[in-house]
Amino acid sequence: MDWSVIIAGLLTLAIFSFLYRDNPVYKMAESLLIGVSIGYFLVITWSNTLMDLLFVPLVQDAKWPLVLPLALGLMMFGRFHKRTASLSRIPIAILIGSGAGVAIPAMLEARTLRQITATVGPLLSESGQPDWSVIVVLTGVITTLAYFYFSREHKGVLGGVAKGGTYFLMIFFGTTFGYTVMSRMSTLIGRVEFLLSDFVRLAQ
Amino acid sequence: MKQIESRHWIFGGLFVIVIITMVLNINLEVRVTPETDRFYACLDSLPAGATVIVSFDHEASSLPEIRPLALAVLRHAFSRDLKLVGTALLAEGTAVGYRLMTQTADEYGKTYGEDYVYLGFKPQYIAAILSMGESIPDTYPEDYLGQPYRDYEMLVDVENYDDIAAVISIADGSLTTHWIEYGASRYNIRIVAAVTAAMMTTYDPYLASGQLYAMFGGLRGATEYEQLIGIGGSGKRGMLAQSAAHVYVMVLIIAGNIIYFRTRRRKGSAS
Repeated sequence: MDWSVIIAGLLTLAIFSFLYRDNPVYKMAESLLIGVSIGYFLVITWSNTLMDLLFVPLVQDAKWPLVLPLALGLMMFGRFHKRTASLSRIPIAILIGSGAGVAIPAMLEARTLRQITATVGPLLSESGQPDWSVIVVLTGVITTLAYFYFSREHKGVLGGVAKGGTYFLMIFFGTTFGYTVMSRMSTLIGRVEFLLSDFVRLAQ
Repeated sequence: MKQIESRHWIFGGLFVIVIITMVLNINLEVRVTPETDRFYACLDSLPAGATVIVSFDHEASSLPEIRPLALAVLRHAFSRDLKLVGTALLAEGTAVGYRLMTQTADEYGKTYGEDYVYLGFKPQYIAAILSMGESIPDTYPEDYLGQPYRDYEMLVDVENYDDIAAVISIADGSLTTHWIEYGASRYNIRIVAAVTAAMMTTYDPYLASGQLYAMFGGLRGATEYEQLIGIGGSGKRGMLAQSAAHVYVMVLIIAGNIIYFRTRRRKGSAS
């Protein structure tokens, strides 16, 4: 048998041992997972980001404008000392400014305008019959927005509409919870499948 | 020694149920949903030789769920002779994506550099998505193996999203949102997604508004897709276990409620 399969199988069992109680075997497997993940992330970041995008073009190809992001990056470390802490504000300001500049138009378009356009549709279909899917979506949006309107007390009509919104929210949370349970089950099934087919070769 | 608590029995029961159903290995037929069908039709309608980006936007921890989804999509794409360009916007998905792509390519006798190329990881996903819209070779001067982008024959005419038929985002988090917001909105590229079940409700509004062209997900989605392409995989094998586990959870919820109400009534009558 492949050594990697044996190690992966034993580590899977070590993680499963937490179901009974916290124990040193589980802690070892957990620490190993975190250590390997961080190690992998560091190597990838070093080679794909710092080397490929910064040091190699700067040193080998003499792309001098890259000195600017290097300087900004180094300014970030200014936070570690009181006297230089203010230096870090410059790269943070640039980061937030450029981030907002890129994100705001995209968010406005994709999250607001396009979603509103999709929500507000004709209530009647071409045949003159009510389009129930549009009606349900519109009702859901209006009642849910009413629930999140806190400038007035939820009494009278507003209270009734807001209560309707809670039902839509409950349906949403229920669906999300159901899908999440399904996702976690899938993860368990995936590991059990690995144990049975690759590790103990009971099922193929 | 610590006493065995009720949760141990619950977890133990679930474990036993999953093992038994997996050993039985009974294939459960599932009804293909219109969403999965739309994803399938999208890939199926692309002409042979069309270039598609497959973005592995997930972490290693979600591999048990991501693997059947990715394999189903990659098998379909390779069987349709599509040219695949692999990429990863999360560091952990890089090696996983490369492995899945090469494994599936081997199944279909596809050659690296001619039928598929893996560009690897690019940090700062928003910047990467936007940058690819301007120039893919400038974003990825080299592929995952360190070969220059321009060396590959299949990438000669691939400059930006104008030369890409679709982007397949295989995700376990919110990365598909960024493909929609920065790729679809700005560059009008068609985005399709294969996601974990937990993320399905997050993307439903985008699917309803048409910003996300098609989506399928979870072990059930993988099973449906395997059914459509006619190749059995771990999705199909796990479906019985999935159903049995759900029945088990529902029985526990019902039992828990009965116990709760009976206890409450007993306490009420005692006082």
